[in-house]
Amino acid sequence: MSYRKLLLPLVPIALFLVGWELTARFELINAALFSSPSRIWRDLVTLHTRGLPERSLLLTHIGASLWRVFIAALIGTIAGVIGGVLMGTNRYIRRFFDPVITVLMPIPGIAQAPLFIIWLGFGDPTIITVGAIATFFPIAYNTAAGVRSVDQQLVRAARTMGASWANTLISVYLPWAAGYVLSGLKLGWARCWRTVIAVEFIAAASWGLGFMIWDAAEYIRSGVVYGGILLLMLIYFAIEKALIGTIEARTIRRWGMVRT
Amino acid sequence: MRRVGPRSWMSHAYSVAEFVLPFLIIAGLWELLVRAGAVTSPSFPAPSTILVKLWTLATGRGVLWKHLSESLYRLAVGYALSAGAGLLLGTLLAMQRTLREMFAPILSLLISVPTIAWVPVFLIILGLGDRTVIMAVFLGGFFAITYNTIRGIEMVDENHVRAARIMGASGPRLFAAVLLPGSLVSILTGLRLGIGYAWRALVGGEMLSAMISWGIGKMIYQARFWNDVVAMFVGLMIIGVSGLALDRGLLRWLERATIEKWGMLTEG
Repeated sequence: MSYRKLLLPLVPIALFLVGWELTARFELINAALFSSPSRIWRDLVTLHTRGLPERSLLLTHIGASLWRVFIAALIGTIAGVIGGVLMGTNRYIRRFFDPVITVLMPIPGIAQAPLFIIWLGFGDPTIITVGAIATFFPIAYNTAAGVRSVDQQLVRAARTMGASWANTLISVYLPWAAGYVLSGLKLGWARCWRTVIAVEFIAAASWGLGFMIWDAAEYIRSGVVYGGILLLMLIYFAIEKALIGTIEARTIRRWGMVRT
Repeated sequence: MRRVGPRSWMSHAYSVAEFVLPFLIIAGLWELLVRAGAVTSPSFPAPSTILVKLWTLATGRGVLWKHLSESLYRLAVGYALSAGAGLLLGTLLAMQRTLREMFAPILSLLISVPTIAWVPVFLIILGLGDRTVIMAVFLGGFFAITYNTIRGIEMVDENHVRAARIMGASGPRLFAAVLLPGSLVSILTGLRLGIGYAWRALVGGEMLSAMISWGIGKMIYQARFWNDVVAMFVGLMIIGVSGLALDRGLLRWLERATIEKWGMLTEG
């Protein structure tokens, strides 16, 4: 059964790749525009080996993006959880920030970038700031919803038994809201990743996967463009499986808050 | 049930006021800071300056409407395509098990790529103009709509499907009479998410496509060359408000007209 599930998706993928390669080989499609699997592979390998004694260009691009995503996600997550808890526990703070978040959320990071380029200049400061903002919204929103869903009886019980506010927060609110917070983290980190790549298109000085793809597109080096997108897929897939899966297993699964 | 009368009008006005108030407070404080001379940098223009700019752009030669209408045109074309294709493919994959097992994993791989990352590909293949932006909008909406259509149809009660089958419904009949109504909540969620993604893809696509000269995204991008922070703020305001209006106006209305009216969703 799982055998079938693993093999079936490979059929269209294999057909697609073989078809792509053959049509490019026989010049049925313009290989300069559409590239081909073998060209993509060659271009990526070249990018990896060209600067090699000192450093691999490809790995430096990947590393730059991952580093930015990490820092932006870290800042955005901390701010988001704190903001969410404040919004969840205080009615006035919630009423104030709810509309602000609603209006700011649909603005894509790439549209905010020109403004931050003026304020902070090209490169890391702009990319990380916009990434952190993108991370913040879904996490704050979901954390607030989670905190609000907490059974007030439990809070009162904890307070009666002498728990301090911080204590209540850590041992009542956060475990109860964990499911919400986690789905906020998922959304937030996914958005962080997308935003960082997008902002790298217009705000990166010289490194990053977004910069790599954009730079290659301007010189119509299509192999690098397609290869870059392939890398985006694989890296995201790996991060999602490794990170989110582990966190879920360690927290809400273990606490029996979702059906496994 | 919607109540018509002075009371519902009052509560409506109240919630609008509650929504606008935080922005007034923020703008007021900011204006004060600028007026008092605490903020003097031209990179942080006062809200009044931004409003004046908005007014000049919106009246007179009306550049703003040209930007906005071009954007909305691209959104409409791209989104209509993605809704059509997403519903079709979603239904197909949900009803054909082998096809679903073949393509669902591929779909989830493709979803993970930021829509904006496809733009360079379209720029290479489709050129630097309108087609690239519309394609980005299409792709932005497509995945969310497809995914939620599959999920919705999968969640339809198996017994209803069996009952319909026994009574002789199949193919399009089965779809129209059982599967579509049963999955409408999820499909509408997809449509709603889809328009949000499509809107973001639109703005990004417009910024990156060199050959187009109109559009809200383009307006912000062009402002960059003149370091025109005021125009950027106007653009961002329009993007935020229009995104909200699309979501609340169009999709909320659709929800009200269908699933809420039919009692499939309790208002929350």
